[in-house]
Amino acid sequence: MAHAHEPDVSDILARWREHGRSGLLPCLIEAQERHGWLSPALCAQIGRALRVPLADVYGVASFYSLLYTEPVGRYVVRLCDDVTCYGHGSAPLADVCRAALGVEPGQTSPDGLVTFELHPCLGYCERAPCLMINAHVYGPLGAQGAQELLGRLRAGEPLPHTAHADPAPPPAFSLEGEGMLLARVGRVDPSSLADYEAHGGYLGLREALRRTPAQVVEAVKASGLTGRGGAAFPTGIKWESAARQPAEPKYVVCNADESEPGTFKDRLLMEADPFAVLEGMTIAAYAVGASRGYIYVRGEFHAAHRRLAGAVAAAREAGYLGERILGTDFTFDVELRRGAGAYVCGEETALFESIEGKRGMPRQKPPFPTEQGLFGRPTVINNVETLANVPLILARGPAWFRSTGPQQAPGPKLFCLSGAVARPGVYEATMNVALRELVERAIPREEIRAVLVGGAAGTFLAPDQLDTPATPDGLSTVGAALGSGALIVVGGSADMLAVVERITRFFAHESCGKCYPCQLGTYRQWEIVRRWQGGRRRPDDVERLHDVAHAMREASICGLGQTAANALLSALAWLNGPEKPEGTHGSAGDGDH
Amino acid sequence: MSADKVTIYVNGQPVEAPAGTVIVEAAKAAGVEIPVFCYHPKLTPVGMCRMCLVKVGQPARGKDGAPELDEEGKPVIRWFPRLMTACTTPVSEGMHVITDAPEVADAWRGTLEFILTSHPLDCPVCDKGGECPLQDLTFKYGPDLSRFYVPYKMHFQKPVPLGELIWLDRERCIYCSRCIRFCEEIANDPVLEFADRGRAQEIVTFSDPPFDSYFSGNTTDICPVGALTTEDFRFKARVWELRNVPSICPHCPVGCNIVIGERAGEIKRIMPRANEWVNEIWICDKGRFGHHFVGAEDRLTVPLIRDEDGSFREATWPEALEHVVNRLAAVISTHGARAVGGIAGARAANEDLYLFVKFFRDVLGSPNVDHRVAWPAGTGIEQAVAHVGLASGSNLAGLGKGSLILLVGSDVEEEQPVTYLRVRRARRNGATVVVAQARPVKEDAEAAHILRYRVGGEAHLMAALLKVVLEEHEGALDKRFDKLKGAQQVREAVAELALDELAGASGVGVEEIRALAGLVAGARDVIIMVGREALVGAEENAPALVDAAAALLAATGKAGQANSGLVALWPHNNSQGACDMGVLPDMLPGYRSADEVGATVDEMLSGAAGLKALYIMAADPARDRPSSRPVLEQVDFLVVQDLFMTETARLADVIFPAAAFAERAGSYTSLERRVQRAEQALRPPGEAMPDWWIVAQLAERFDAAWPPYATAVDVMAEIAKQVKLYKGMTYEKLEGEPVPWSTVAGYHHIYTGTSVLNTWFGQQWPVQAEARRPKYTLRWSGLRPPRREQGVRLVPRRRLYDHGTMIARSHLLDRRRARPEVLVSSQEAERLGLGEQGGTLRVQANGTALVASARLEPRLPAGLAVVAFDVDGTAWNALTEGGLRAPFGTLEKVEEAEE
Repeated sequence: MAHAHEPDVSDILARWREHGRSGLLPCLIEAQERHGWLSPALCAQIGRALRVPLADVYGVASFYSLLYTEPVGRYVVRLCDDVTCYGHGSAPLADVCRAALGVEPGQTSPDGLVTFELHPCLGYCERAPCLMINAHVYGPLGAQGAQELLGRLRAGEPLPHTAHADPAPPPAFSLEGEGMLLARVGRVDPSSLADYEAHGGYLGLREALRRTPAQVVEAVKASGLTGRGGAAFPTGIKWESAARQPAEPKYVVCNADESEPGTFKDRLLMEADPFAVLEGMTIAAYAVGASRGYIYVRGEFHAAHRRLAGAVAAAREAGYLGERILGTDFTFDVELRRGAGAYVCGEETALFESIEGKRGMPRQKPPFPTEQGLFGRPTVINNVETLANVPLILARGPAWFRSTGPQQAPGPKLFCLSGAVARPGVYEATMNVALRELVERAIPREEIRAVLVGGAAGTFLAPDQLDTPATPDGLSTVGAALGSGALIVVGGSADMLAVVERITRFFAHESCGKCYPCQLGTYRQWEIVRRWQGGRRRPDDVERLHDVAHAMREASICGLGQTAANALLSALAWLNGPEKPEGTHGSAGDGDH
Repeated sequence: MSADKVTIYVNGQPVEAPAGTVIVEAAKAAGVEIPVFCYHPKLTPVGMCRMCLVKVGQPARGKDGAPELDEEGKPVIRWFPRLMTACTTPVSEGMHVITDAPEVADAWRGTLEFILTSHPLDCPVCDKGGECPLQDLTFKYGPDLSRFYVPYKMHFQKPVPLGELIWLDRERCIYCSRCIRFCEEIANDPVLEFADRGRAQEIVTFSDPPFDSYFSGNTTDICPVGALTTEDFRFKARVWELRNVPSICPHCPVGCNIVIGERAGEIKRIMPRANEWVNEIWICDKGRFGHHFVGAEDRLTVPLIRDEDGSFREATWPEALEHVVNRLAAVISTHGARAVGGIAGARAANEDLYLFVKFFRDVLGSPNVDHRVAWPAGTGIEQAVAHVGLASGSNLAGLGKGSLILLVGSDVEEEQPVTYLRVRRARRNGATVVVAQARPVKEDAEAAHILRYRVGGEAHLMAALLKVVLEEHEGALDKRFDKLKGAQQVREAVAELALDELAGASGVGVEEIRALAGLVAGARDVIIMVGREALVGAEENAPALVDAAAALLAATGKAGQANSGLVALWPHNNSQGACDMGVLPDMLPGYRSADEVGATVDEMLSGAAGLKALYIMAADPARDRPSSRPVLEQVDFLVVQDLFMTETARLADVIFPAAAFAERAGSYTSLERRVQRAEQALRPPGEAMPDWWIVAQLAERFDAAWPPYATAVDVMAEIAKQVKLYKGMTYEKLEGEPVPWSTVAGYHHIYTGTSVLNTWFGQQWPVQAEARRPKYTLRWSGLRPPRREQGVRLVPRRRLYDHGTMIARSHLLDRRRARPEVLVSSQEAERLGLGEQGGTLRVQANGTALVASARLEPRLPAGLAVVAFDVDGTAWNALTEGGLRAPFGTLEKVEEAEE
């Protein structure tokens, strides 16, 4: 049903029209920001302007969880109930919200004022438990605080947010003296390019431009830098492969869709040192011969997006982006894109699809992004933290980088500590740091039950496994991988089954549905865990879970499905409850076929 | 795809395959089946269903690039750490593929188990049961038991309509996206998409009407489960009970190969039959759902004779035949043979048409035969096709880079839908498509250039194109051209024309024409497809349009070359065959000039021929060309042979009940001049008989010494002897060599869907230009300035789902049936004061006035309005003579109160 008064979005369409289909997601996001939801008439208008079939407009709009094809309240309250926030009492907080708003999760109040949702990790774990009201984050929130906040919302009183000042970035600590990646964090004004330059900013780019692109690639290769997004692929080799491709144009994409539960280090860099990310991207573009870059920022990271937008404008103004950068004939510019609530878009090819205006479904690899990436062109896609390392390598030299930390995994690394700790935040260390040291630095609040390393796609480690160093080899001895660098401390009081339920629900919610093993497997394991929560275990459940895990790991298209069973399988050691046949049917007709 | 062959090893066996082929195809060619669901050879691979996982390894290479060898000197194989999807992995030299390893069997079993855990297993009530890839692959590779918990199955309202033609059962859907990809890639009707994500994902349609595509039924064929089924076949029969009878679609000249699923004397469904040269594995929804006329209640079942009191009475065959013979003989003896005329609709089979002509010319002695009720006569395109038509051996699927398709005045999506798919495929393979049309059509989407000519300027455009090619692309001209009779006259005539005047008359700029000429001159293949609208719009200049096209093909040396030539986009399934069989007043079968030239259909129907008796077989001029009604009413004796009591039949003195296409064997010739045979699937209702039989009975009663034809086979055997072009085309020969394009025939439906495998591919007859020393004559008919009159030019547009006699009886298409409406341009709408919602207009033209709803078509050029025909009784046909006139007319707005 089209509303009588469709808002005018012609200015939005005019801005994105020339992008064609690639402008679809930005158009949908901006149109929704203006109108609250994407009515059929709005979808049709957007489809016509961008020449995208209506079915595809709707297919894209309904794919992203932050977009609504049904009316929602003027305020959307999203309470994080993910692992970290759960450990901080999000469950009782949900009851408080429900009562204060008079709305059940997933529902909109009859007066159309507010929609209440339980949301996967918002990426603001240092502020757990937290919630978002439209674009603003509130946390940590106690019962009283929440009641007061939501009471004001219900009463129509102004909310205590300051619309123009961005909230503080997460606390950051370096175990390495003044810090390397964190050297500027908290010390410079992130909105000031001059400040950035005064603190060593753009030395790396200047250094790079003195060399040939091939020499820059060589330097990054020599540094031993590996990807910081989770897969730890050698960055220099990726660049070399893209540089070698004859096809033009090439792209550099910054993966800023940081969505792994318990991870917020990229957000820190974007909020507190955004120019470093841009500088790293510019160097990457120079090295591989790209003239255009995209930064795809997670939809929930409003402050980071604003920060980066300011930085791009300032860098462009100062000649660090645009044509003939720093007087050379190197040309490069960056476009910011926002996600809209899809964890899978952190997967590189799904991210490309999303930028191209499609449903964020991963592609079959090969071909790899360096051969056929964004718009089918050779593309280097790097994580925010990876790119932030690049200026350091150029400025201080690859030898310095290589000699920092362990030989196998050199350079600084950011770890996200959250959960049952008194000092959550981003910790910088080299990778030979023992997990226990990181956890101790964050000051556990209670006895440690387990530490979830690598977020939802990661592995639960027992307290006695924490002396391992954070190197790939070290972690593999305990069956873990560092992944995104998240360390969520699960306290002794936590209900491990509930934690695991949240993780399995997360994957069932975030599976894109493209491939069957993941679409179905994520659901199956969630169903089994929920059954356990109901006290109904079956003797062969563990075997089933292993089977499901095997199918997902071996047969899924992308990392989401391939890792979706990790946490659950590693948690089984904690979940050895009594296994009893379920229901009253006994084993004869127990309904499995 | 590169032609380079590589050798791979499938389960240790060496197999040659073109580099870049995906593993599934390479293995299939080697006879090794790899199960698939989402993979389809016609669609872009997506690797979604994970069914085709196999073990893949490549020869290891040392740092120097040389293959590493083991102790025995054999190459070391480096296996990929995970199983790979065989549908997306291209083969490369030395690749090893293992499909019989235990881990592969595990993966296949596991994937099937996964899929089945959420499948409803409602095979006993599923239309797909019996030809279902999921069912068959489960039997072959699946687990015998599932260890998953039944309550976890998803439950949905089942099924939900994706429109009124196709049902979606979401419980059965396995999210393979074949249907979505078909709509996007093949049909260019992107109306399906996934909504939501993960387990909540489902197929949705966003269009009005829902699933707005003329090709929607194909999704049910390629759906690898029973998620998509048709309303038409729903719960009609189990597939194994059907007798599958090969046939040819009766609706349009594409000649799609179909199979009639017959049970208990009824058509239960129509399915495509794979023929890569004609329809690949597709048919349009008219072909699929438009069969209900065959089983319609109101079929004619007995001969009828008009009584003294004017009413019809039932008669026996001998009585009716005798009556007709006596009356015709009387007319001939009084007025001479030329007082008898014959109109044979081009829906009839070659056998019917051949005997019809033989009956008229040899038995009655009248040359008055014609079939062009729905096609402009006098353009010469029939002959031109025989000279420079699409050469034999052509296959539109072979077009690609270097190929040019020029569509002139076409609307293939509405008139020859599968041709649209073929043109689109050629374009996707790299061919250049140019659309010359006065109004927007769907094939514009495929066009590299769109030339919007002014109606009336079609011939001038083609002449201009010819002039530029002849005069500015000397290098592209064929040496043999000047040896052709008439070539010099054409050159001289064209030299006298002024390019800017031609361009001015055509409404297309000189530079655009030059650009197109450059494309023609540079192309490897040139196909020119001429639609009815081009000839109708060109009016008296239509012959020049045809002449210029023929000369262009001859001059560039494309005439006679495979994948090049002229195609007439005929109105009917056997228009080409009707021409071939000599249902033309000036030509004998096989395009031999007739000594005695008869009256054209126009002369017969206008009264100019002064006929006393008319014999009309399989045509309904009273409806299609309402102006002929007075003649049909006044003629002394009218015989009509048809399936139904048509408008024309109502005026008849004797009516013969004819058998429908499915009720008799017959051969039909497609617009690519492919002669194809159809088998009998059903018995005719009552006493209805095949058209050829009726004609033969009449001949016998005239004491003609015809051989006793027992079946259509005998008639075709005679055609194969008597008509040179059809030489040797007996039914036996038309079966051709079995070339199933899916190499794993037994399991083809897993790879390609339920389109039925085929061994009857038909035969194209060679055109004159293919001869080593071509002897045809080029013609130049001269050009006059286009007619200019006051008013709006009305262009008649045929729609796929119109109110035609056959299609009108498929009521499941009613909601999509073309509405009587006028499309007006923005300028016209503004002038008339119509809003965006359109309005009501009074349309006057061609001596007819009617009130119609108008719709705005902003892409329509000014001065043009598009009117439908065959949409509602006969008034709309009167407006444009059933699509054969593009008259100037007036549009006036009708105010609400007047309506």
